[in-house]
Amino acid sequence: MNSDQRLSRMFEKKKNQSFFFKKQYEIEEKIHHFLRCMEDMGLLYQEAFFSYFSQQADQFQDQVKELGAIEKKMDELGRQIQISLFAQSLMPDSREDILWLLNSLDQIPSLFKHSLRDIQIEKPVVPETLHDLFRQMLTKTGLTISKLVQATDALFADLRSVRLLTEEVSRHESEVDKVELRLLQAVFDQEDLELVRKYQIKRLIQYIGSISNTAEDVSDAILIFAIKRAM
Amino acid sequence: MGWLTSALFLGWSLGANDAANIFGTAVASRMVRFRTAAIITTIFVILGGVIVGPLGVERIGKLGAIDSISGAFTAALAAALTVMWMTRLNLPVSTTQAIVGSALSWSYFAGKSVAWAKLIPIVIAWVASPLLCAVASIVLYYLIAFILKHVKTHMLVLDAYLRYGLIAVGSYGAWALGGNNMGNVVGVFNGSGIFNDTVILGIPFSEARLLSVLGALGISVGVITYSYGVMITVGGDLVKLDSMTAFIAIASEALVLDIFGYLGIPVSSSQALVGAVLGVGLIRGGNTIKLKVLGRIVLGWIATPVIAAVVCLVALYVVKNVFEQEVVKEYGIAPKVSLQTSR
Repeated sequence: MNSDQRLSRMFEKKKNQSFFFKKQYEIEEKIHHFLRCMEDMGLLYQEAFFSYFSQQADQFQDQVKELGAIEKKMDELGRQIQISLFAQSLMPDSREDILWLLNSLDQIPSLFKHSLRDIQIEKPVVPETLHDLFRQMLTKTGLTISKLVQATDALFADLRSVRLLTEEVSRHESEVDKVELRLLQAVFDQEDLELVRKYQIKRLIQYIGSISNTAEDVSDAILIFAIKRAM
Repeated sequence: MGWLTSALFLGWSLGANDAANIFGTAVASRMVRFRTAAIITTIFVILGGVIVGPLGVERIGKLGAIDSISGAFTAALAAALTVMWMTRLNLPVSTTQAIVGSALSWSYFAGKSVAWAKLIPIVIAWVASPLLCAVASIVLYYLIAFILKHVKTHMLVLDAYLRYGLIAVGSYGAWALGGNNMGNVVGVFNGSGIFNDTVILGIPFSEARLLSVLGALGISVGVITYSYGVMITVGGDLVKLDSMTAFIAIASEALVLDIFGYLGIPVSSSQALVGAVLGVGLIRGGNTIKLKVLGRIVLGWIATPVIAAVVCLVALYVVKNVFEQEVVKEYGIAPKVSLQTSR
C-alpha cells in the first residue's frame, strides 16, 4: 500500500466515523494530498540538483519530468479543492483564507519547476567548489518547505501548534538567507569564472532563495489565520 | 377585525426589517438559503410570540390602557407610519420606541395619567439592552477564547461549528424576536376588547395570546415577503465582521431579547445587535467603536417616541373628527388638547 492509499484509507475511516463533518474531512483529504505532493516535489527538487551536479543527465531529466507530473497532479487537486470550497457552504472568511492559501502554496511548485527548467535550458556550469554550499542551501530550503507543510497541516489538526511551526519556518528561512549570502559571495570570488556565468549562477541562487521567501510569506499568513480563529 | 390591519402592518414591517438582525449574516454569505432562513424564522417567531409574547402584550396594553379599538388602531398605525417614514429617511428607528410614543400620546389625548410604573422599566430597558448585549458579547467572547485555547481545533471543523452555531443562534434569535416584539406589534390592542378569552383544543387563549398569534403571523409575512433585501444589506455589513464576531453578536442579541421578553419588556433588536458588536469591538480595539453609531442610538431613544407621539396625536384628532370614530371610550382628567377634541 503506498502513502496515497494509506492517506485515503485514513480519511475514509475519519469520514465514516464522523456524522457531521464528512464534507470538511473531504476538503481536508484533498488538501493533505496537495501537501504531500508538495513535500514530494521539495525532495525531488533537491535530488534533481544533486543529479545535475554529479552530471547524471538522464536521471536529472527523469526527475524534471516527474516533477512536472506532480505539478500537474497538484493543479488538478487545487481545482478539486476550489470546487469543493464553493460546493460546500463554508463561511466566507474560511473559504477566502483557504483559497488564498492554495494560490500562495501553488507559487512554490512553479518556482521549483522554473528553476529546474532554467538549468535544463541554460545548462549552467557550477564550479565544484560551490556544490557544498548549494547542497546546504537546498537542504535548508527543503526543511523550510517541510515545516511549511507541517504548519499548513496544523491548521487542520491543532491550531494551537501553528505558531511554533511557523516560527520554525522563519528560522529555516533566515538560515537559507545566510547560506545564500555566503554562496553569492563565493560565486563572485571565483576568479576563473566569466562575469556572465557568475550572473547566471546568481540567478539560480536567487531562484532557490525565493522558494524559502515565498514559504515564509505563506507561513506568516497561516499564522494570521490561526490567530484569527484562536481569537 | 379590520382594525387589526395597522397591527399587521406594524408586524409586517418589523418582520421585514428585523429578521436581518438574526439571519442576515448566514443569508448574505449564502451559508443558509433565504428559504431555509425564512422557514426557521417563521416557526420560531410564532413559537416565541405565542409562548412568551403575551407578557409584553400585557405590559404595553397597560402602559397606554387604550380602551377603544379605533384608538388602538390609530396608535399602531401612527407607530407603523413613523417607523416607515423614519426608515425611508434613513433615521435610526425602533418599533418599540415608536409604539411607546404612540401609547403615551393616546394617554395624553384621553387625558389619562401616564403609567409610570410600566413606562420606567421600558425606558431603562432601552438603555440597558445595548449595554447588556455589550457585556454578554464580552463574556461570550472570553468564554469561546478560553475554550479555543484549551482544545485542539481544526479550521474546517471550527467553521462547521460556526455554521451550525449561526443557525442555532438564528433560531434562538427568531424565538426571542417573536417573544420580545409582540408587545410592540399588538400590545396597544390588549384590553380594547377585540378578542374574548377562549379555549382552543383544550388550551386556554387569553386576549393577549390571541393577539400574539396574529402579531406573529404579521411578522412572519414580513419575513417571507420582504426581508431578503434587508438581509443582504444588513448581513453584508455584518459579514465584514468575521464569522465568529457575527456569531457572538447574534447570540448575545438573542439572549438579551429573550431575557427582556420574559420580563415582558420589548426592546429594539437592532440596538441590541449594535451593542453586541460594540462589545466585541471593545475587546478587539476601541477604534471600532464609532461615536456616531452611539449618537444615532441615543437619538433614536428620544426622537422616535417624540415623532410617533406627534404623528399619533394628529392621527387621533383626524380619526376622531374626520372619520368620526370613538378613539377614546372614557376620558380622564382632560388636558387642553383632549378637551378640544372631545367637544
